[in-house]
Amino acid sequence: MAVYKRGYQRYTGPLTGRWTRFMVLPRYAWRRLYEQRLVLLLTMVSFVWPLLCAGFIYLTNHAELLQGLDPEFRSFIQVNGRFFSIFMYVQAGFAVFLAALAGPSLIAPDLSNNALPLYFSRPLTRWSYALARLTVIIGMLSVVTWIPGLLLFGLQVGLAGGWWFVANWTLALAVVIGFLLWLLILGLVAMASSAYVKWRVVAGAVSLAFFFILSGVSEMIDEVFRVNWGHVLDPAWAVNRVWCTLLSVDPPEGPGAGASLLSLALFVLLLVLVIERKLRPVEVVR
Amino acid sequence: MNDRSIPVVELQDLKVKLGRREILHGITCRLGVSGTGKAVGLLGPNGAGKSTLILTLLGFLRPSGGTARILGMDCRHNMGEARSRIGYMPENDSFVGEMTAVTFLRQMAELSGLPPKAALEKAHEVLFHVGLGESRYRELRTYSYGMKQMAKLAQAIVHGPELVVLDEPTNGLDPAARRRMLKLVIDMKEEQGMNVLVCSHLLRDIEQVCDEAVILKDGAIVHHCNLEEERRSNRSFVELEVTGDDRDLRMALPEIGADGVSEGAGRWRIVLPAGVEVEAIWGLAERQNLLVRKLTHRRDTLEEIFLKAMGHLSHTPGESATMDVRLET
Repeated sequence: MAVYKRGYQRYTGPLTGRWTRFMVLPRYAWRRLYEQRLVLLLTMVSFVWPLLCAGFIYLTNHAELLQGLDPEFRSFIQVNGRFFSIFMYVQAGFAVFLAALAGPSLIAPDLSNNALPLYFSRPLTRWSYALARLTVIIGMLSVVTWIPGLLLFGLQVGLAGGWWFVANWTLALAVVIGFLLWLLILGLVAMASSAYVKWRVVAGAVSLAFFFILSGVSEMIDEVFRVNWGHVLDPAWAVNRVWCTLLSVDPPEGPGAGASLLSLALFVLLLVLVIERKLRPVEVVR
Repeated sequence: MNDRSIPVVELQDLKVKLGRREILHGITCRLGVSGTGKAVGLLGPNGAGKSTLILTLLGFLRPSGGTARILGMDCRHNMGEARSRIGYMPENDSFVGEMTAVTFLRQMAELSGLPPKAALEKAHEVLFHVGLGESRYRELRTYSYGMKQMAKLAQAIVHGPELVVLDEPTNGLDPAARRRMLKLVIDMKEEQGMNVLVCSHLLRDIEQVCDEAVILKDGAIVHHCNLEEERRSNRSFVELEVTGDDRDLRMALPEIGADGVSEGAGRWRIVLPAGVEVEAIWGLAERQNLLVRKLTHRRDTLEEIFLKAMGHLSHTPGESATMDVRLET
C-alpha cells in the first residue's frame, strides 16, 4: 500500500545492535561528505602519489629495467623505511588538506542548528557521538593514508617474496600506527575547530592554521631560548619524530620519541577537553 | 511491579542545581501510568523549573539530590535504555539544516535502533502523518517555522516511542497550525497509546490535551491535579435561575441527592453528587412547577486552578460554591 494511504503506526519490530547504531552517524556523514565535489576531487588527487609509489615498487623489483642505471643510484632506490617515510610525508600533507576541507562539517552544523539535544535524547552518549564524529574523519583519511600504505607494503611483499616480509614486517605496523597517530591529531583538531567556529571556511582555515602557528611558535622558542625542545610544541614535528623511530630512519635533531609522544598525549588530552566542553545537550549559563 | 503500574515519571525529593543556584527544591511526585496513553501537563510561569525538570528527566542535567525515574528507569544510570523508548521535541529550533526531512528522520530513526529499511518507511509515514508529505524531500532549512515544529514532532515519534516529551509544542504557531498540533498530540495518546508529557505555559493547550497536570512554582510543585477527575467533579456544580415559587426547592433538592443555596431572585447554586446528571434538575424544576430561565454547568477552568496555585485566587469558583452550600447547610 502507498505510504500516504497507510497512515502512521508505531514501530514495534526488532531494534538494531549498539554497533549498528554507532555507525549510523558516520554512514550519513560520509555520504554527505562525498557529495561535495571538492572533497571527492582531493581524495582522487591523493591517490596519485600512492600510484607513483606503486610504480616505483614495481621498478625496484624488476632488476632488468634498472640495468643501465648507476649502481650508486640503484642502491638508493630501495623499498625500505626511508621509502615509506617519504610516502607517509606526502600522504600526511594530503590528509591535512582533506581534514581541513571535511572537518568543518563534522560538528558545526549540529551546533548551529541546535541538533545536539535531538541526538542526545536518543540512545547515544556524548562520548559515542564524539567517537562517531572522529570515526568519520579517521575513516575518510584512512582511505588515503594507511590503507594505500598497507597496499604498497602488500605489493612489495608480493613482488619481493616472503623473505622481504620476514625482514620488514615492522614497516607495515609502523605505517598503520604512525598514520593512525597522525589521523587522531588531525581528527581532534578538525573536530575542535568545527565545534568552536560555525563558519565552515573559517573552521577549515583554523584547523590549517593550528599546525602552521604551532610550527612557527616552536621555531620561535628554539631560536629565542637557543634550545631544541621547542619542537615538541609542534605536533607535526612530534609525529614525524615518532615516525622516524617506528620506521627506523635517521631522526631530526631535537627531543626524542618519548618526549614527542608525551607532548602528543598532552595535545590529545587538551583537544578532548576542549571538545568535551562544547558537546553538551544544554548550555548552562553560570 | 508490572508494566501497567509503572509511573511515567517518578520523582523522589529531586533537587537540581545549575551552577550554585538550586532550581528544583526536592520535588516528590508520581505522574501518569506507563502504557495507558495518557498525557501529563507541566505548567508553571517562566522560571518555575519546567524545562529544568524535562532536561533532568532526559538525563541532560544531573540531579544534585534525590532520584528521578522515567518509565521506571533511573535518569542517572539507565538512560541509555530509557532513551530508545522516549521521543523528545525541544522548544527551540533543532534540526540539521542541510538534510532533507526524510533523510533527517531516517537518520534519527536509525539512531533509535530501527533497521535502515524500517527507518525509511517510518520516516515517510510520519511525514505524511504530520502533514509534511509533499515537502519531505525539501531541505529542513527551507521550511517555515510551523513546518519546522511539525518536523520536530515527526522526529520525536518516528521510532514509535512509549513516551513523548513535548516542550512548548505550540509555541509560535498560528491558530490553524496550533489546532493541528494539538490534534496530533491527542491522536498520539488516543490512537497510538503513547504517553505524553507536555510542558507549556499555555493553559488552554494543557486543558485540551492533558489528563493530568502539575503546576510548578519556584522549583516546587504547588498543585497536582487529575484533570479528568476535575472535569467530572466540576460537572456537578450548577448555576440555576428559575421563575416561580422556589421556597420549597431547598427541601426538594435532597430528593435527587443534591444540595444548594439560594442567592435570591430565583438564583441558586447547586452541587450535584457524583453520578447525578444535570437532567435531574430539569425534572425537579418541573415537579416544583418552576420555569428554568438559566442553567449553567459552571466548572473550574485550568486557568482558575492555575491562578489559585499561584496564589492569585483564594478559591476557585467551584470551591466557593461548594463552601457556600456547606455554610448554608
